[in-house]
Amino acid sequence: MILQLIVTGLALGSMYGLVALGYHITWATSRTMNFSQGQTVMAGAVVAYTFFVALGWPFVPAVIATLGCLAAFGAGIERIAVRPFFRAASPAWLLSTIACGIIAENVAMLTFGKDARAFPSALTQRPILMGGAGFYPQELLIPCVGFLLMAAVQGFYHHTAYGKQLKAVAYNPEAAGLMGIHLPRAVMSAYILSALLAGIAGVLLAPVLNVAATMGTIIGLKAFAVAIIGGLTSAPGIIVAGLGYGLVESFVAGYLSTGAREIIGFGLVILVLIVRPWGLLGAKPARRI
Amino acid sequence: MRRAGWIVLGAAVVLLPTVTANTYYLYIVASAGLLTIVTAGLNVLVGFSGQMSLGHAGFYAIGAYTAAICTVKLGWNPWLAFLAAVLCAALVGAGVAGAALRVSGPYLAMVTIAFGIIVEGILVEWIPVTGGPGGIFRIPKPSLVWSYVLIMAVAALALWLTRNLRHSAWGRAFLAVRGSDVAAESLGLSAYYVRIVAFTVSAGFAGAGGALFAFMNGYISPDSFTLQTSILFLLALLFGGEGTVAGPAVGSLVLTLLPELLTSLTDYRLIIYGGLLMCSIYWLPAGVVGACRSRQSDSSDQPPEPNRPELESQPVRPEPATDRLMEVEGLSITFGGVAALSGVSLSLGRGIQAVIGPNGAGKTSLLNVLSGYYVAKAGHIRLDGESVTGRPPYAIARRGVARTFQTPQLFIDLTVLENVAVGVAGSRPGIILAAMLGLPMEVRRDCEILQTSRVLLDRAGLGPWAHARAESLPSGLRRRLEIVRALATAPRLLMLDEPAAGLSPTEIQELDADLSRLRATGPSVLLVEHHMDLVMAISDHITVLDYGRVIASGTPDAVRSDPAVIEAYLGASA
Repeated sequence: MILQLIVTGLALGSMYGLVALGYHITWATSRTMNFSQGQTVMAGAVVAYTFFVALGWPFVPAVIATLGCLAAFGAGIERIAVRPFFRAASPAWLLSTIACGIIAENVAMLTFGKDARAFPSALTQRPILMGGAGFYPQELLIPCVGFLLMAAVQGFYHHTAYGKQLKAVAYNPEAAGLMGIHLPRAVMSAYILSALLAGIAGVLLAPVLNVAATMGTIIGLKAFAVAIIGGLTSAPGIIVAGLGYGLVESFVAGYLSTGAREIIGFGLVILVLIVRPWGLLGAKPARRI
Repeated sequence: MRRAGWIVLGAAVVLLPTVTANTYYLYIVASAGLLTIVTAGLNVLVGFSGQMSLGHAGFYAIGAYTAAICTVKLGWNPWLAFLAAVLCAALVGAGVAGAALRVSGPYLAMVTIAFGIIVEGILVEWIPVTGGPGGIFRIPKPSLVWSYVLIMAVAALALWLTRNLRHSAWGRAFLAVRGSDVAAESLGLSAYYVRIVAFTVSAGFAGAGGALFAFMNGYISPDSFTLQTSILFLLALLFGGEGTVAGPAVGSLVLTLLPELLTSLTDYRLIIYGGLLMCSIYWLPAGVVGACRSRQSDSSDQPPEPNRPELESQPVRPEPATDRLMEVEGLSITFGGVAALSGVSLSLGRGIQAVIGPNGAGKTSLLNVLSGYYVAKAGHIRLDGESVTGRPPYAIARRGVARTFQTPQLFIDLTVLENVAVGVAGSRPGIILAAMLGLPMEVRRDCEILQTSRVLLDRAGLGPWAHARAESLPSGLRRRLEIVRALATAPRLLMLDEPAAGLSPTEIQELDADLSRLRATGPSVLLVEHHMDLVMAISDHITVLDYGRVIASGTPDAVRSDPAVIEAYLGASA
């Protein structure tokens, strides 16, 4: 039982962390976020379903095509909902990205339908039995891919020239601009990367959860909670918070009830913020007079 | 035009039940009324105090369930239940605000979202009390016409209360905190506390709306109180026009009627909502009402030239300055390893004391530590013998220390007169309930505040601008307004951060004259400044900083001939 809860917790938690990294990446480069990140996860699942199941493409091309669509989606969000309000005093980007999410969900409802559908996968056919617990290979695959991707994102930021450029933008956009970094392109890259992470999470989760037009909202919210708990400015904090949140959720659901899961999970968010207002590892913004 | 709009709206609302007995129409308009009540409250939070909530459905739910439980399970009188609902929502609101408002931006959005989800979760799970997913039935329910009348009366009341609030000292405090919390704190207002009050009021309104919702339908369930509901509240407010009194009514009406007119497009409802939200963000950033208003005021004429002023110290609460008003001992502060101040000691008494030094010498850091914005790593600050080391800015301001900023921090949503009125009211904006109800004593007090402000403005020569928005002032006058506003708090010590920066030579002369007059009658002045002529001409005492240390201190003549000072400024020993 405990082993099973841990595996489920790590699987979900790594996905929350992955999606939450998407919030972190855009926040770090532009101090804006895509509040339709949850709907982007949904789009990943729905588009993958369309290519793989509805159109019957082989798996690999279907995934590649899905990622292409999501990159375009991320770029579109940046162009339509964020760039016009970049650095505006009001949080207009918050509302405009919410609006995009609402529209995306409705479009998915109209095209994909209102019902949830199962996503067939070889990895969810037969459970593996281990130590008295049974779980699907997919549940093991998810955290593995999740960890690899999180490590890859960290590597990209720390060890590649382009990643360092994006970090420079995060640190000081004006100076980075003067050093010849094309700011709007950097922000757009961040949005594309963020959408890709969310999309991959959607594809990975599709076989475990069912694919539905409304599946995104709650995942997006939990990922946001994770990003806030970890500290928006801290990638390591977010990864730790993601795993922690996944484990807490899985144990609460296992030992108490699924209903208590949301209450305790989001209650935890408020508690963490009371103790550490800028997240576990986040930096407090300096007060400038 | 504005009055005509209200009359038409009011007449339509009153006449509707006499024209039609169709319950459908009454129900729709009553729903718009409910939405108006909630958004009028949300307006206090978002439009006035500038904070965001994505969890107001939680307060709506608390109102609805409190009313339902009190009447159905406890058998209370519905009026009593209504009051309990408002109080309960406001209390929870105060609690949530205490936790939520320590953070801002996305963190605040998260806390409010989390609150909404937790409330929704509790409604579903706590079955013995809330009835679980099935909700609560058989809530005593007046006839629809009575519900309609009641809801419309409360909606009108809600709009009237927010209107009174906007024009009270509290309303100005909200908008001041929204415009610049830094400046608001320098006048004695705690931004945190002011925002908590705004949050509490808006939660109370949401509770009222929720209770009426329960009474109108006779049945409630958790489905009505989701995150989507919270987003709808915000959307209605922004679409109508946040910060305007009529905005909530217009936004609520449109957002309630529109889906009804487009019933054939139910499947596209979310697209319509999302599209509407996008359109309003793109083309109506100030909402429908805001757009109408700005078109009207475009034609207003420019204010006339100012008559030449004299900036006297003002008569509100003259406090005699003592010889040792502020004493500073061994003050040190570092930023990321760089020592901005190390071991600075000085003593402020009567008259004008200047702090000069090359760029980066730590002058502004010193001022920020003295006024509480930075916390010193070491050292003590005593004000009239009382230690104020490490106290927050508003607490220091309340002890009679006022200041201005290097870039003037005006409250841009307020008029010039109101900017000064925030200073006059200082940390005492009065009793908020009395202000909302427009009680005579509160109205009288507010009149006095505004009159005092007017006198101060006239004396400073800003009278002609009294009703212009502070934003529209040219930069020289912005500095002047900021000084008037600081003086309006009747300080014992006034700290000026480079008041001459960016002024023209004539304006500097005027400033010189003003400062001389202050020396004669007003509070002690601490002047951080670059213009040597000005400093040498009017200062009684000069402290010179270099690399965060005091390198010289004395009368202007003594400082002028000090070799250390000459070296610091000219870079070589003369």
